[in-house]
Amino acid sequence: MIKSKINSTSLSFLPILVFIPLTYQLIINLHFGGFELFQEFVISIFNPKINNEIIINVFRRLKETMIISYSSWIISIFFGIIFGIISSNIFYNIFNLPIFFKRIIRLFLTIVRSIHEIIWGLILMQIYGLNFSVAIIAICIPYTAINSKVFAEQLDNIDRKSLASIKNINGPNFSTLITLIWNPVINTFKNFGIYRLECSIRSSVILGFFGIGGIGTSILLSFQTLNFRELWTYLWSLAILILISRRMFKKVKLGNTNPNLNIFLLTIVIVAIFTCLFYFIFFIFNENIENTYAISNLFNSDLDLNTFKILKLISDTIILSLLSTGIAISLPPFLLFILNNKIGFIFIRLTAFFLRLLPPPLLILVLLTFNNPSLSLAALTLGLHNSGITYKLLITNLDLQDNKNYIAMKSLGASKRNSWLLGLFAKQAKSYLAYCAYRSDIIIRETAIVGLIGSVGLGWQLHESLSSFAWKEVGIVLIAYSSIAIIGESINAKIKSALT
Amino acid sequence: MSTILELKNISHKFENNLILDKVSLEINYGDKIALLGKSGSGKTTLISVLNGTIKPTKGKVKFFNKEYKELNIHQKRQITTIWQDLRLLEDLSAEQNVNCGLIGKKSFYFAFENLLNISSFKKAHQYMQLCKLNKSIYSKKINKLSGGQKQLVAIARSLIQESNILFADEPFNNLDPKLIKIIKKLLLENKHREDAPNTTLISLHRLDLIDGFNKVIGIKDGKILFNLRKNDLKKFHLEEIY
Repeated sequence: MIKSKINSTSLSFLPILVFIPLTYQLIINLHFGGFELFQEFVISIFNPKINNEIIINVFRRLKETMIISYSSWIISIFFGIIFGIISSNIFYNIFNLPIFFKRIIRLFLTIVRSIHEIIWGLILMQIYGLNFSVAIIAICIPYTAINSKVFAEQLDNIDRKSLASIKNINGPNFSTLITLIWNPVINTFKNFGIYRLECSIRSSVILGFFGIGGIGTSILLSFQTLNFRELWTYLWSLAILILISRRMFKKVKLGNTNPNLNIFLLTIVIVAIFTCLFYFIFFIFNENIENTYAISNLFNSDLDLNTFKILKLISDTIILSLLSTGIAISLPPFLLFILNNKIGFIFIRLTAFFLRLLPPPLLILVLLTFNNPSLSLAALTLGLHNSGITYKLLITNLDLQDNKNYIAMKSLGASKRNSWLLGLFAKQAKSYLAYCAYRSDIIIRETAIVGLIGSVGLGWQLHESLSSFAWKEVGIVLIAYSSIAIIGESINAKIKSALT
Repeated sequence: MSTILELKNISHKFENNLILDKVSLEINYGDKIALLGKSGSGKTTLISVLNGTIKPTKGKVKFFNKEYKELNIHQKRQITTIWQDLRLLEDLSAEQNVNCGLIGKKSFYFAFENLLNISSFKKAHQYMQLCKLNKSIYSKKINKLSGGQKQLVAIARSLIQESNILFADEPFNNLDPKLIKIIKKLLLENKHREDAPNTTLISLHRLDLIDGFNKVIGIKDGKILFNLRKNDLKKFHLEEIY
């Protein structure tokens, strides 16, 4: 009897099946009312509007985006490192502290990061009103918790033997700690921290959609006035900002052997952190709190959510996450397999670039030009945007991998597609799936954004409740959101550990 | 002679395997002990028990007549170890790794300066020179060094701690015969400083290296087969363990 076995390679392709119900739903909801608009949107990609007025506006908006994203990035990295250290096993091992504190800190951080920055932003906007500082804090809160998780995971990977050998020198605890964590922290910053700057820019753009300022606000205004040429000027400038930021920080060599450069970089980091912190303190004590009564209203506001309704919203959010994750996992390898030639690769690369560039709220608005709002459309939006990101990771790892197996497969007479699948992708499948498990944590959180615009799930309900100052409802929706995110995160952690 | 370390009926299990079986041992001030045994005989575990890294499953370990956790920091700093797997910090340079040996005696700022590469490496260089390390590798990262160079860095890191009790787990691995002679002299004769380690236990594979030790301990399958003065060692003792 032949036994079929599901391995990592087939598991990467299997979720493509989500397209069957999804396509059916999308076809049912198809309309041609905005098809011309969609055409215009696509044509404008290569015909952005360029004049003095718009260039000045681009620089002004980019400056705002940079202030929000760079400040929130550096602060969240700084606090992420601190929380990462105090929630890592190594800290408790060196200081001989009860592990109970670590569990409490980790639980707190899990709850904090389970709520998307947009939700933090919307809540803070209700309290403090519209300003940059709200955007910075809104990004900093969940980002600190996300960064701390990654730093803690890397610190937990420190070899136990190295720990024993440095501990055996019997230096002061802080000396032992810093000696052991210095390089893992720097390496994590290099490999992960710089990528977080890109995320921070994207988040500040999305917050701009809710009126906080920066290039996101201009993108939304251009879309609302159907000025697609102007819209693409902003999108291209955003792409350039992301590209320059990535390149600029990749050039900085941390942990090198030049002492003067080390002192210089450290001084810059310290000055930047303290400037941001002092600004925060200034903000907290000087800004007018517009809705302080909101917190007290939490206990006496109306509640229009029955158990059935909240259960339906939760199930919608879970289905949305699962469908989006399915698309994000399977679409990149599927397309690379099907379009396995030079032109196909260029097409996929370009598509993935645009999918990453378009913020999910804009992507869903574009898709709404020819489709009615539905759960499937929200899932497609989130899935497509995230498949742009999973594609980038997959292709980077495939490029780094040696192609001995690919050559061997081809020399055995296998077709180009099969050689790619068995000689290249098969080797990456496990780590690709492990990354997708991490990505699905983010997708669960991101359901809030598309939910807000696509009128689906808890995200939509949250927006409604916030708009009507129904704080009790907001509280219930947030608890439901957190619970889904926390359960999702623990399931994904199990999947990741099974895969690695 | 005063006893500085005493093991009484030590047994240690790891994943249901008995690694050390009722080991009893005394180490006195001034002992130069060669620990002989095949690979997997329990030498590394015994050294880990001796330096306080592993708490044995059964039995008592007394350091200066106290349990390890009762020792004060100065007493703990009297013990240093050269590990078989070296345990160097791969991302740091050779001189930074050697300087790590000093963090026990310096403040937090020294550890920080060392990582920023702005601390003084004078002492580190002195010990690296003693270990015959070439100047050209001082600032090279550990992952760029050869096996022998890494071994010498680990030895220098251990010696710079200037402890009185030295445990070394096969410290002559990856070294050529000329270097073995020099390093052995460094570890046993300790002429590089007045208060150099005077109590040494070194695990060995090669029998031709037991000259210079005053005691020899043989270990097989986690049991101590003999614990003799070197002059009392006979050929049949060695045949028993190999």
